[in-house]
Amino acid sequence: MAQATETATGTTASWDGEGRVKVVGILCNWCSYAGADGAGTARLRQPFDFRIVRVPCTGRIDPLHILKAFEKGADGVLVSGCHPGDCHYAEGNYYARRKLELLERMLPQLGFEPERFKYTWVSASEAQRWQQVVTEFIKGVEKLGPREGRAL
Amino acid sequence: MSPANGNYEEVEQRIRELARTALEEGRVDYFIGWTAGYNESEVIPGFVRSADRVDALVWNPLAAYNLTAFLKRKMPDPPQAKIGLAVKGCDSRTLVSLLQEELVDRERLYVVGVPCEGIVNRRAVSKVFANEVVKIEVEDDTISVTNQDGETKQLAREEYLLDHCRSCKYPNPRYFDDLAGEAVTEPEDQAPMWREIEEFEALPEAEKDRLMAEAFEKCIRCYACINACPVCYCWDNCVCRARQPKLVSQKVNAQENLMFQMVHMFHVAGRCPSCGNCDRACPVEIPLYLLHRKMNKELKEMLDFEPGIDLEQKPVFQTFDVNDPFGQH
Repeated sequence: MAQATETATGTTASWDGEGRVKVVGILCNWCSYAGADGAGTARLRQPFDFRIVRVPCTGRIDPLHILKAFEKGADGVLVSGCHPGDCHYAEGNYYARRKLELLERMLPQLGFEPERFKYTWVSASEAQRWQQVVTEFIKGVEKLGPREGRAL
Repeated sequence: MSPANGNYEEVEQRIRELARTALEEGRVDYFIGWTAGYNESEVIPGFVRSADRVDALVWNPLAAYNLTAFLKRKMPDPPQAKIGLAVKGCDSRTLVSLLQEELVDRERLYVVGVPCEGIVNRRAVSKVFANEVVKIEVEDDTISVTNQDGETKQLAREEYLLDHCRSCKYPNPRYFDDLAGEAVTEPEDQAPMWREIEEFEALPEAEKDRLMAEAFEKCIRCYACINACPVCYCWDNCVCRARQPKLVSQKVNAQENLMFQMVHMFHVAGRCPSCGNCDRACPVEIPLYLLHRKMNKELKEMLDFEPGIDLEQKPVFQTFDVNDPFGQH
C-alpha cells in the first residue's frame, strides 16, 4: 500500500489509494504524456494503480477503444490531451472532443457511473495539474470500487 | 401525429404510376417498393423490374421497412444500374445521410417520396392474439386485427403506432424526385420524442446495467441489425468480423454482444436518424432504440444537430467547431 513520503519538491503526498482498481489512461504524446512524465521527473506523488497508453493524438482515439478497455476489465478510463487550440496536429483534439463528449454522455445509458470516465486537457508544462487530475479521478473510481457483474 | 385521413389508395396509385413511368422511360432499371406479404398482416420490400408488374406495389400503414437499406448493397451491383425507390419521411433522412457522405450516387437514383402518417407497430399488434395474426387493417383511428381462427379485435391506432411515429417531426420526405400524393401537415411544435429514453435515464446505474445485461444476453449475433441498418455500410469489411483490430471476438455473451452493438452505434453516430429498422429486424427484440435514440438525444443537446435533415450539412463527426460548448478545459 502506498505510503505518504515527502517528495523532492516538497509537494505533500496526498495519495493513500488501495490499489484495488484498474484504471487506464490514454494520453497524447505531445502534451499529457509529457505532463505525466514531468510529474514523474518532479517526483510528484501519483497513484500507482494506473496504466498509461500513449497515443500520437487524442484524435487517434476511437470511443470504442475506451469501451474495449472497460470490456476487458478496466474500472475507469481517463483520456487526456492537449488543450483545445494547442494540438500538435492543429485540430486533432477538436475532432476528439466531439467523439469523447458523445461517449461520456452515452456511458450512463450502459450502466456506468459518470465518475468512471473523464476526458480532460493537460499540457506538457502542467505537471502539477496532472497530479491533481489523476489523483482526483482515481479517488472517484476507488470510491466506486471495481466493476462487478457488469453489462459491459 | 394526425389521424389517418385514408388517402392511402390514392398515394398507392400514384406510387404505381410514378414507378411505371420510370420503368417505361428507362429512367430506372428496377424499382424498390413495398409489396404485400404472405398474408394481409404484413408488407414486405419488393423489387419491381418491369412496368407490367408495378401493380404489386402497395402503400398502407404496415409499410415499415426502410428501403434505403437496400442501396448500400445494391448501389455497386450491378455497377451501372439505375435504381428507383420509395421513401417515407424517416427513410429519406437515412438517404440524406448517405448522400451527405457521398455514399450513394444521386445521378443513379430516382426517389419517390411518400408522405407518411405513421406506421403500425406490427410486432405489438401481432401480440394481442396468442396465435398467428393473418390480417391487420387500419381505418381512421382503429386497427382491426384478425387471427387465423377468424377472431377480430379492435385497437386504438394511436397506441399501436411505432413509438417514433407518435412524435414524428418529419412525416414528409426530406429528399425526393417526385412526391406521391400531397404533403401532410408537419407538426409545428412537436414535443421531443425522448419520453422512453428519459424514463430509462432516470433509473439507477445498477438497474440500467442489469437491464442492458439482460437484453444483450439474448443477442444471438445474427447481425440482422447491421444488415437492416441503412446507414451502416461496411458490409463484409465490418470491424466486428475483423481480427485486426480485434474489438469484438466471436464469443457470444452479454458483454461481447453489447460491445458489438456499441460498434454499430458509434459507427452510425451522426447518420442514424432512428428509423427503427434495426429494432424491427431484431429477432429477439432487444430494445436498440435505448441506444440509438439516446445517441440522437445527446447529439441534439450537444450540437443542436438532427441527422439527415439538410443535404448541404457536413457530417457532424467529420467537422468541428472551435466554439463547441463542451470540453473547453
